[in-house]
Amino acid sequence: MSLIQNLVPASAQAPARCDCDSDPNSEPTVRPLHEFSETDEAWGLQVYLPGVAKEGLEFTAEEGQIAIRGRRAWKSPADWTALYRESTDAPYELVLRHDKSIDVEKIHAELKDGVLRVSLPKAEAVKPRKIAVN
Amino acid sequence: MRSLIHYTNLGSRLLPSFGFADRSPTVCFEGDFGRWFETALAGLAAPVCDNHFPVDVYEDKDNTYVRAELPGVNRDDIKVEMVEGFLTINASRKSLAADGKGEEPFSFSRSVSVPENVAADKVGAAYENGVLTITLPKQEETKPRKITVAVK
Repeated sequence: MSLIQNLVPASAQAPARCDCDSDPNSEPTVRPLHEFSETDEAWGLQVYLPGVAKEGLEFTAEEGQIAIRGRRAWKSPADWTALYRESTDAPYELVLRHDKSIDVEKIHAELKDGVLRVSLPKAEAVKPRKIAVN
Repeated sequence: MRSLIHYTNLGSRLLPSFGFADRSPTVCFEGDFGRWFETALAGLAAPVCDNHFPVDVYEDKDNTYVRAELPGVNRDDIKVEMVEGFLTINASRKSLAADGKGEEPFSFSRSVSVPENVAADKVGAAYENGVLTITLPKQEETKPRKITVAVK
């Protein structure tokens, strides 16, 4: 082992720390596809969560972070045999950090047909301001 | 206006910028390397961006089921056809345009090979939570029949 460490100094270092907030022992999750749009008033976030019903969706907004977790509402009945699979049953998880330029109190979200549309209103400080020039 | 917004993503200045990184109010916590992997692996995880959507095929003793993940599609924009043992699913959606304003149409198509013995006139489809489930009933004669033989 020490020989390897002599030859490859990097191997003596501790493995790179996973910079994620989730518990490593928890079940695997899928990061859903998402899109952003922007207007002067707000950012729009569109998250694709096929198979998630309103009951299985958890949306938390904290200081500097928003987290979306979705569990699929459908489970295959016991007598169904899977012939071919492309999707997974793993729950969705999307954690996004922001620089607190979002007005957390006014976040609005709507789930329809497996698409979550979130409106993230900009905090007053980052809205464009017109400055009068004398 | 841009200078008023301070992104916490400091690393992006050293790296080639991605179009969406400049617009996004959030910073993906894996950083840029995570994003590279994500871009590279996106096709494997949930290929909704492409016009290829994930499809599952199940079977029980009466039916074959095809489930397709098609989030955010209007029921009227889904077309299902069955031709010679292939089930074709066509769907279209209005997707966000690249500039974030307006929408541009986006269509998906997928063909799946299905068993020969489908009763084509009884095919049914349901769309719920962004997942399309197509039920393909098996024809009567291919169901295992139970024959009672009287023994004299």
